[in-house]
Amino acid sequence: MGGAAPRRSAPAGYYGLPVLHRPHWKWLVISYFFFGGIAGASYVVASLADLAGGRANARIARAGRYLSFAALLPCPPLLILDLGRPERFLHMLRVVKLRSPMSLGTWGLLLFSACSALAALGQAARDGLLPTRSLPRPLGAVPARAVGLLGTVPALFISGYTGVLLAATAVPLWTKSYLLLGPLFLASALSSAAAALTALLALWPGTPRAALERLARIERLALGTELALLLAERLVLGRTIARPLAEGHTGRVLRAVVGGGLLLPLALHALARPASGLAGRAGALASSLLALAGGFGLRYVVVMAGHASADDPAATFALTRGAASEPPAQ
Amino acid sequence: MPTVPPAATSPRPEGAQAPPEPTVGREALGFLTDTTLCIGCKACEVACKQWNALPLDDFGFKGRSYDHTGDLGATTWRHVAFIERLTDTAAAGGDGVASGAAPRPTVLPPFQSHWLMMSDVCKHCVEAGCLQACPTGAIIRTEFDTVVIQQDICNGCGYCLPACPFGVPALSPTDHKAHKCTLCYDRLRDGLEPACAKACPTDSIQFGRVDALRARARERVAALRARGVVGAYLYGDETVGGTGGIRGLNAMFILTAPSEVYNLPARPELPQRKVLPAFASLAGAALVLGAAVFVALRGPE
Repeated sequence: MGGAAPRRSAPAGYYGLPVLHRPHWKWLVISYFFFGGIAGASYVVASLADLAGGRANARIARAGRYLSFAALLPCPPLLILDLGRPERFLHMLRVVKLRSPMSLGTWGLLLFSACSALAALGQAARDGLLPTRSLPRPLGAVPARAVGLLGTVPALFISGYTGVLLAATAVPLWTKSYLLLGPLFLASALSSAAAALTALLALWPGTPRAALERLARIERLALGTELALLLAERLVLGRTIARPLAEGHTGRVLRAVVGGGLLLPLALHALARPASGLAGRAGALASSLLALAGGFGLRYVVVMAGHASADDPAATFALTRGAASEPPAQ
Repeated sequence: MPTVPPAATSPRPEGAQAPPEPTVGREALGFLTDTTLCIGCKACEVACKQWNALPLDDFGFKGRSYDHTGDLGATTWRHVAFIERLTDTAAAGGDGVASGAAPRPTVLPPFQSHWLMMSDVCKHCVEAGCLQACPTGAIIRTEFDTVVIQQDICNGCGYCLPACPFGVPALSPTDHKAHKCTLCYDRLRDGLEPACAKACPTDSIQFGRVDALRARARERVAALRARGVVGAYLYGDETVGGTGGIRGLNAMFILTAPSEVYNLPARPELPQRKVLPAFASLAGAALVLGAAVFVALRGPE
């Protein structure tokens, strides 16, 4: 608040008051964006690793299936608790609205939950982790690769639709970069998932070095994509609308995210790549934790900068001025 | 009452207990708020609060001219804005808002005073962003072509708030659901005009069929311009106010200054126009990143 206020002799619009009403979404929704992204993207990584085959990939697929389901578990409660009337969460299932990303997200999350649960339970059955004798047989018979590939579509959707959800609003910072937010959230989900998998496998004894190397490749790819998309975002938004990304609290957090959550992990990757053994694993763990913090921070910045953007009438007018700022001739 | 078409507002015969006439298929009903007639009495705000049993929000002094309401909100469905034009730039087509050193005007403009007053309200958009965003189906288009939030359905997800380009719906801190003007749906069902239009003492707020209001608005704009109010125009058609896929507003306004002076966007856009291209972009990114991940996973062990 205030940090991004326009510096002018006269405030924009009507006493500088916001034109828009910003959403109330804060920590619960930011956390959902984070965990939902990890759940979706680690499912995708697991399915593709299974498809690619090999011993190292089998380890990645196994960890990815468990991680996907574990990251999915907090999502429904986070979303339900964020509602003004949590007891009415089932009202989301009254309708299917193709023009409402939140409605699509509800159904997509439902579909993805089934896939993720099935993949994780099938894995658990094959690993002999299920306590009962009756369940493992039908679950073990579930064709893991087919379920994995079928679920990849809803998994990719869950990883990125949250960016589309934000883009389909009147908030200048979100809607002006409508082509970039979905890919940005997807890339961020992928880097967070790769980082979380790396952290898990680095601590899991007996992980082949190839598995960590492949995850590091995915993480670098995703972090690099994020950097490029963030740069494109700044260029697309223009100076007025990009103000919350450059100034004030959200600007400072974004600089910390880019420095500590994107550039630093990339630098650690470059340093730790040749190293193996304990030092290599410690480096992988450190860069993973940084990338995870960066993934959470990025979602925090996008949501909170959207709040600042909705509050800034100058940004709204920069978006809506178009060709007709003067009254038209009639 | 010359400003309302009889079909929409004629009261039922004395003592009639019959249910209201079937209303399905009637023409769109809406508001025309003619700001050149507004005297800033706030009778609309009061009538709205009384009819809809809305609590008072604040008893504060905001220090912004005579506007102590501030904004449309969960319990404020009409809001009278007060804009004092402190410079002569207004006469030259500028916004007339003080910008520092400019001298105060010494002569009155040919019409009105140096005050702009505008009673703001939900625009009841032809294509409404809030309605399209609502994931529960709580927000509906009624038989009067108005946009209403069903309070027994809304679960307070808050998506309609940023989906409105005019900043109309708001979450109530009391019941945690979204609220906004219903265009007095209950009164329309009974053949009555909305409370604010009924209470407006100058007919600045006019209620009726949208097509009739639109025609009247154009006549009024022409008359105002002929009388020297060169800046008068209609806000709420597809050239200004109802742009970008919104396809016009069923609650429109006659304004005499650039819309931004009233905190109204000149060329708003329907947010849902972005849904399909944004999903297409996401799908493209998913294909590219998915393929890249697969390649990254295939390297030598």
